[in-house]
Amino acid sequence: MTDIRFYLILFAAAGLFSLLPLGLGDYHLHVMIVSLYYLMMASSWNLLAGYTGQVSFAHAAFAGIGAYTSGILAVKFGVNPWAGVIIGTAAASLLGLGVGVLCLRMGGIYLSLTTLGFSEILRIVITNEYDITRGTMGLQVPGLVEEYSKAAYFYIMLGAAMITLIVLYKLIYSNKGLCFRAVQNDERAAASLGVDVVKVRVLAFTVSSALAGLAGGLYGHYLHLITPEIPSLDQQFLVLSMTVIGGMGSFLGPVIGAFSLEILSEYIRAYGEYHVLVFGLIALVVARFAPNGLMGLAASRLPGGPAPAVTVPSTGKS
Amino acid sequence: MALLEGLRLSKRFGGVTALSEVSFTVEEGTIVGLIGPNGAGKTTLFNLVAGALKPDSGRVVFRGEDITGLSPNIVCRHGIARTFQVTRPFGTMTCLENVGVGVINSPRSESDGNWRATALHYLETVGVEDLAFTEARHLNVVQKKKLEIARALATRPKILMLDEVLGGLNSQEIVQAVDFIRRLRDELHLTVFWIEHVMGAIMKAAEKVIVLDQGQHLMEGTPEQVVADSRVIHAYLGE
Amino acid sequence: MLALATMNGLVIGAIYALAALGVSLVVGIMNVINFAHGELYILAGYFSYILADTLGMHFVLAMVLAVALVFLFGIFVEYTLIRPTYGNDMYSLILTFILSIVLQNAYLLIFGPYPNKPPGWVGGATHVFGAFYYGNQRLAALVAGAVVIAFVFVLVKKTWFGRIIRATSQDREMAELNGVNTTRLNMLSFGLGCALAAAAGVILAPVFPVTPTAGVPVALTAFVVVVLGGMGSLWGCVVGGLILGLVENLGAAYISTGYKHVFNFIILILVLLVRPAGLFGRREA
Repeated sequence: MTDIRFYLILFAAAGLFSLLPLGLGDYHLHVMIVSLYYLMMASSWNLLAGYTGQVSFAHAAFAGIGAYTSGILAVKFGVNPWAGVIIGTAAASLLGLGVGVLCLRMGGIYLSLTTLGFSEILRIVITNEYDITRGTMGLQVPGLVEEYSKAAYFYIMLGAAMITLIVLYKLIYSNKGLCFRAVQNDERAAASLGVDVVKVRVLAFTVSSALAGLAGGLYGHYLHLITPEIPSLDQQFLVLSMTVIGGMGSFLGPVIGAFSLEILSEYIRAYGEYHVLVFGLIALVVARFAPNGLMGLAASRLPGGPAPAVTVPSTGKS
Repeated sequence: MALLEGLRLSKRFGGVTALSEVSFTVEEGTIVGLIGPNGAGKTTLFNLVAGALKPDSGRVVFRGEDITGLSPNIVCRHGIARTFQVTRPFGTMTCLENVGVGVINSPRSESDGNWRATALHYLETVGVEDLAFTEARHLNVVQKKKLEIARALATRPKILMLDEVLGGLNSQEIVQAVDFIRRLRDELHLTVFWIEHVMGAIMKAAEKVIVLDQGQHLMEGTPEQVVADSRVIHAYLGE
Repeated sequence: MLALATMNGLVIGAIYALAALGVSLVVGIMNVINFAHGELYILAGYFSYILADTLGMHFVLAMVLAVALVFLFGIFVEYTLIRPTYGNDMYSLILTFILSIVLQNAYLLIFGPYPNKPPGWVGGATHVFGAFYYGNQRLAALVAGAVVIAFVFVLVKKTWFGRIIRATSQDREMAELNGVNTTRLNMLSFGLGCALAAAAGVILAPVFPVTPTAGVPVALTAFVVVVLGGMGSLWGCVVGGLILGLVENLGAAYISTGYKHVFNFIILILVLLVRPAGLFGRREA
């Protein structure tokens, strides 16, 4: 994909999207805002799993770091929410850097274990520090705009989603992106060609955590209520499912996954809280039989279409 | 002058000794063959030099500098490139991108931002330029071996370590391949350190041959000396 | 209080060790982390509850059957989900994580969020070391845990099956060259790993009742134990399990109950900082 084509498609899509508030009511606009949040989450998680082959279970946790940092600053210290979101993003990237440096020397499995632990610890800390976080009750936070309007938040999330996609595009289609994919394919071979595998992974993890922090910060202020649900493993699971079902390792996969699953979950919700179970079963089937997700299926239907980049067995023991 | 030197290198896996006190030298500008029966420790020796494994004892010296125990990417930046016995292409990337990884990470790279042209040049060098936009997983074994050589060359090495690159070739292709490696050495001013099972090729290409047997340095010498040595014959026949 | 916390630590530690053994075995042989380990532990708890409580079986029979059922379920999971991904560590991580969430939600749907408890084996309490009274059920759990751990050690260290396991986790290619059927070995060891989770589950369920998400902290601790002890090391599991059990309970007694699971995480960070290969780990895996 050339740069010009990417920007053309991105801005055309954003242009069409920006017309939505004219035609959609509050409820549907809410669904769109939530979808954009998941788009940011799934696309940035894809940078890790789809492009460098590492599975983090703390992506929702980093969104929580962004949300709670900004929220607590606003509530306790009266910090402007916009400044709070930026500080929250910085906090998420710093923590990401720390966790990355800590465990990525030891390889992928350690990252998965540590991030799973990190999510759980964050949940415990949030529920226990009631005075600061209001525990499971949730922290009431101010909004980003003076006068509440769904349309305003929709445009904010749309802008943030565009920034996220541009950052990811720039990174993935740069020289660094080439190294990312080399590491994902075969880290030993990549190292033999001079790629600093640990540095590449830490970079991807830090960028991805920062983007999660940004998404979480904005989302928290939109909801006006930050609860431990944001950094929960259930949310992590939704983000993972969206990426897997949409197509890991393809740029569009998580975008498609985020919209289709969020919209689907609104329908399922009418019958009760079954959406997690349903997504889980779909994701299991997709991960097992169509590891490149919907994008992979589409590509195999259209000969000559771009084949998404996953599925090659990575190194065994290394 | 010795470009690469190994000093009393030893490596154990669990209880098994894979290499025991092996010393060797590779002189600049030469082709040095490394042979020995299966399990002699040839690939282990390569892994110790390339930083993929750390020796239990002993040192690796390259251009007068101690590079023992450095990580593989640093070793590569010093100017040591390698191929793998079982090829390890980046399957979901095109051949051009495969070679590009070598280009962009080389400190000696002459490409100023445009890695594609340089990468294409190395694909041409090994003769697989028509596969530039094919994903590497679709290649056959011989093409994968060529791709690995192109990838290794793209890092602009001083020494190229080849691990059994002739597998799957017929006798005429082997002759051509030997010619090709010699030409590479001359044109790119390389030094070649070469593990090979195809004895005829090594005997024709190498100026010096090192023989390992059961993790030990058995002997070294010119190809003529090696084929005439009773210990070498015994090591192979006794296999 | 010190003695009581220590005793609690030993009981929980033995169970952690047992749960970690299952994880470690599978990592050592297959290089796969089963993130649904905790949910299998819970599954066994539910099975033993149904068999003993609802169907009225003798509790020993119910426990054995529960473990056997989870073993079969593990083999089914390996066959359907793990085997096709072999060689791609990333997909096995993703698949088992999805499986864990699916199972949690399935339990919630079937059993509801309420705690379920299979019948205890013994009643009453014993006066321990002349210091305090300790529930007999917990003492029995400690003994049962130790017996199963001993059984695993004998299996791995002394038997023909164990030799194959050790050979394969040392060098897979060599084992294959020497005629080990690694496909079948993978299936059996994954099943065995699940059965060990199940054993931990049936032993502890009468003490700590099962809920759909009660497996999460146990599995997390088991993972920390495996990192602490060194991936693939059996002694590492036992020592690591006991350390974590003690730290958690002493920490809860003297520092804070709410944070008892956080102590484990601090240990994990320290291990990764100081000795990332773990206490008994091989430097180069």
